[in-house]
Order: sequence, then structure tokens, then C-alpha cells
Amino acid sequence: MFDLLYLGIAEIFQPQVLLIILLGVIAGIITGLIPGFTVAMAIVLTLPLTFGLDPVSGVAAMIGVLVGGMSGGLITASLLGIPGTPSAVATTFDGFPMARNGQPGKALSIGIWASFLSSIVSLFLLVAIAPQIASFALMFGPWEMFALIVAALTIIASVTGESVLKGLIAGMFGLLIATVGADPISGISRFSFDFATLRAGIPFLVVLIGMFAVSRLMESIQTSELEKDQQRRLEDKAKDVQFVLRPIATLKQVMRKPVNLLRSSSIGAIVGAIPGAGGSIANIIAYDQAKKWSKTPDEFGKGHDEGVVASEAGNNSTVGGDLIPTVALGIPGSAVTAVLLSALMVHGINPGPLLITNEPNIVGGIFVAFLAASFFMLVVQFTGIKYFIRVTEIPAHVLVPVILVLCVLGTFVLNNRVTDLYILLLMGIVGYIFVKYKFTLAPVIIGVILGPIAETNLRRAYMNEPEWTLFFTRPISLTFLIIAVLSIVFTIWQARRAKAKAAAQP
Amino acid sequence: MGEIVIGVFIIILAILIYTNSGDFPQLEEPVLDAGSYPRLIAVILAILAVILIIRKGMELYKSQAERSGMGIRAYTAYVLKEYKLVFLILAMFAVYVGLIDIIGFIVTTIAFIIAAGLTVGPTTKRNAVVMSIVAVVLTLGMYFFFETALHVRFPTGILI
Repeated sequence: MFDLLYLGIAEIFQPQVLLIILLGVIAGIITGLIPGFTVAMAIVLTLPLTFGLDPVSGVAAMIGVLVGGMSGGLITASLLGIPGTPSAVATTFDGFPMARNGQPGKALSIGIWASFLSSIVSLFLLVAIAPQIASFALMFGPWEMFALIVAALTIIASVTGESVLKGLIAGMFGLLIATVGADPISGISRFSFDFATLRAGIPFLVVLIGMFAVSRLMESIQTSELEKDQQRRLEDKAKDVQFVLRPIATLKQVMRKPVNLLRSSSIGAIVGAIPGAGGSIANIIAYDQAKKWSKTPDEFGKGHDEGVVASEAGNNSTVGGDLIPTVALGIPGSAVTAVLLSALMVHGINPGPLLITNEPNIVGGIFVAFLAASFFMLVVQFTGIKYFIRVTEIPAHVLVPVILVLCVLGTFVLNNRVTDLYILLLMGIVGYIFVKYKFTLAPVIIGVILGPIAETNLRRAYMNEPEWTLFFTRPISLTFLIIAVLSIVFTIWQARRAKAKAAAQP
Repeated sequence: MGEIVIGVFIIILAILIYTNSGDFPQLEEPVLDAGSYPRLIAVILAILAVILIIRKGMELYKSQAERSGMGIRAYTAYVLKEYKLVFLILAMFAVYVGLIDIIGFIVTTIAFIIAAGLTVGPTTKRNAVVMSIVAVVLTLGMYFFFETALHVRFPTGILI
């Protein structure tokens, strides 16, 4: 465990890499605090910039963006009462009232400390747990890997979005479009329908940029969204808020209730490790649990420090949790870590249970980059917060075209193919329609990235032994399949119960 | 209603994939060839889409009785108002992507940023100036960054 960290320190503690992480953190905070722009979008747009770097610096830059983005939402959530990202929804419950009560500085600095300390807690969990899971996964044969992917996809489909059915359709759609192009075992070209564009397949990152960035931009220029945005600008509260940050005093205050911090961080890390569930869910669960366990639950919602700590600790610690399956199994926990994995693949590094054994310097680099990014986040937030607020003043009509062009650049730089841009446009439209009809996008993305791995393992399993019952007789494989079925059954049962409850109380 | 259309599209896609996956070259693989896995996915996806269509169809049928209010004309007017910019920007984006190869990266990108900025924002002289500056600085900055740092060759058409 410690040798991984030593290797990581050697990789990360170089002036150039540290500078890259710092820039990543700043970029992350800025995108995190602009309402309507998500961390996933930020990380997607950072990716092309990292192609010229070596793998460790590239991944380090993206971890910086991720850590910064998770804490950036805090600023707008506390000062404007609007979550800058979906991960900061619960932060508005207590952060905003606290700011309104004349303590905006306190709300911000408590939030920053909670973000920082919870990142450290989740880093410990990551470093302790990931290698264990990876060495356990080394026992997996193709049957287990295939069953694991089935389980991961069904869990994603059940935890995100409004219905399991739509989630599953989204996931299968992802798997289906991943079959276009060369087949992963024999290299036979499939489903190109004689379009030269499709012969190389549908690149994962183009799907990602189209679905997460282009579709989100289209949403933000709907008339009602633009009107909301205008309204926010008119009553801009951030401009004249005066505040003083007292780092030391608030640190003491946060540390006085370590149980709340630890509980919220652990919740965040666990939720983060579940495929598909991320900051937006952890943020709310941690807040809810803090309220249940608190000695003063009535104070929640009125500007209680425990509420700010719980919600911010909840979302930032998902980063560490999210990295556990990503590093240990090669199964991304979210769209964000899916980009991280694809960045590794661009450099020819194959994620999976062997990653820690084969590329210990990269895994160590990820761990240490996470630590460095958390420190930078702390320093940058405390020193730069006054300037960051100004970013929310950039109008939508400047942001939308600029980011669309960045999407085009990112897509083009990937393979130097103009035809990829047509796929980008198409995927943007598909993603937008999906969002409009409440199909979640995370399963599509995870499906596209895991599709080839699922197919390879399924066919390898058959080549070994043409007998499909092996999926059910091998114990680990069976366990994963049972988890898959249970996750669907449980979600349907939960939805039924919620419906019955709603019907019972008119 | 929209869900049903999506469902139908997904079924068409699944059928397309299924029917095109039969004639791949056979290698020495006894059970699963290049077409087996796509067929499996296509079948599952089609089944899920059928369930979705049936469910939404039943919901639609049930709610038909109590549906009232908004007529087709009012609905179209609402859609046009709410999504006007989405349609416009998507069309502009399509033109931009289509022309990038023919005219060249720099010119089309600058033109797209200015045009989209003026479509979404106010068409004032001030905004035109702001958008022009943003467009030129961003485009040239990115162009030279990627050309020098990453050796990317951008499409150059008739112009640049």
C-alpha cells in the first residue's frame, strides 16, 4: 500500500505536474460554480488538452478538475441559494440561510473545510480498499468479469433516473452503439452500413461530449431556462455580499463534531463507489442522515453548521469512493471516471484488475494527485473565492457558442477526423431527446465504455468452454448476477411502495 | 407520446442491427461469432422498448378521457416558443460542422461564435463587438495552441 504512495509522490511532486493540478482545480471550481454547468462537462472539455501530456499528468489534471468541481458548487449554493452543480443541492438548505443570516463567510469556510477534510477521509478509504478489491478481482475469469459488468449496468440503471425500464433501455442502447465498428476479438468491421464514418466505430468520447456537453447546452438555451437565468442576474445577490473568511476559527468549529464529518464522508465514499450514484445523491443522503442523528435536528434548514458540513462532506468524498471501482476493477462509477479511464486508454493503458500490478506508478499517481488536488482546492478556495464569484456574471449567450466550439475542438483533436463531428452532432441531438424524456445519460456512457469489455469476456468465456450454465455455477459470477436481479427488483418494489404511499395520503 | 416514438426508433435500430449481423465472416469459433453478441443486445433492447411502448400506450389510453385544454395549435405555438433557439442553434451547428471541411476551421469557427452569440443574446452593437472579440481571441488562441503544442492539423478549405 505504501509503495504505491511512494511511487505516486515521485510522479506527482514535480513542479510541472503540480502546476497542472493547480490549473485543473481552478478550472474545476469555476465550472462547478456556474449554474447549469456540470463537473462532467468540465472534465470532458479538459480531456483534449491533456492528450499532449504523459498519462500521469493527464490523469492528475482531470483529478484536479474533479476535486475542484465538487467544491465549486458550494459558492453559488451558499451565496445565491442556487446549486452550481447538482451535487450541491443539499448545500443550499443550510448554507444559503446561514449566508442570509449575515454569516456568508462562515458558510463558505465551513463548506471548504468540510470538502477538504472529507476528501482526505475518502482518500484513506480509497488507498486502503482499492488494492484489496483489485487483488480479489485477480481471481475473476471471463465469466465473473461479464457478470460484474451486467451487475454494474443494472445498478446504474436502477439508481439513476425515474424508472428502471428507461435506465435499462439507456444502458442497452449504449451497449448497442458500442458494437458498431471493429469487433473486439477478430477485428471484423460491423454495422458500418457503408458509411466511411462508421467503419472506425463510434468513439466513446464523442458520444460523451455529445451527450453530456452539447445536450446540456441545448437545454440551457430553452426560452424558459434563459428567462430564469435573466431573472437570476437581475436580482444578483452575490455582487454586494461582503464577507470575511476565518479559516482557523471555522476549522476548530468543524473539528468539534468529528462524528458528523466522518459519518458524512463515509456515506459519500460508499455512495460514490456504487456505479451510477455520485455527488448529487450522496449530498442529499449525508444531509438527511446528519439531520436524523443530530442532537439539534430542529436547527436544520435555518443555517445550521452541521448541515453545511454534512452536505459538503457528502459530495466531496464521492470522488474517493468513485475511484475505488475505477482503479480496482476498471468499472467506472460515473461518467466522470469513465472519462478518466478513457484518458488512460488513449495512452494505451488498459484499465482492469491488473492496473495496480501493471501500472503501479499511475495508480499511485492518481492517489497522490487526489491528495495534492485537495490541498490546492483548500488554498485556492480560501484565497480566490472573491474573484470566482464574478464568473457567474458571464452571460449565457457568450458561454453557449464558446463551449460548443470547445466541444468541436475536443472531438476533432481526438482522432483528427472531420467525420467524427457529424457523430458529435447526432449524439448531441440523441442526448438532448433522451434528457427531455427523462432517460438518464449515465447508463448510456457506461454502456458504451463497458460494451467491448463485456463482449470480449462473454466470447472468451465461450471459447474456453461452450457452456452457458457456467455463469450460474461459478459462485462469484452467480453472486454478481443475483445482485443485478436484486437491484432491479428492489427498485421496482421501492417505486411501488412510494406510489402506494402517495395514493394512501391524498 | 414522445416515449412511444423513441421506443419505435429503438426497435427499428435493434431490427437493423439484428438483420445485419448474420453474414459476418465465420472464423473458427464454434458458438459465438462476431454477430452473436450484437444480436443478443438487440433482442434485449427490443423487448425493453416494447414494454416501454405498451406501458406508455396504456397510460396514454387511460388519460385520454381526462385530457383537455391545450389543442394542437396551442401546443405547437408553445413548442416553437420554448425551443426556438434550440432548433436555430442546432441548425447553425449543423451548418458549421458541414462547412468546416469546405471553408476551413478559422473562418467558420469565428463566424459560428459571432452568429450564435447574436442569436442567443441581444442583437446590439455592443454585443456584436463583444462576441467578435471573444470569437477571434478564442479561435486563434486554440488554433495556435493545438497546432504548436499537439501538432493537430486543422481542416483548411478554400480559406483557412
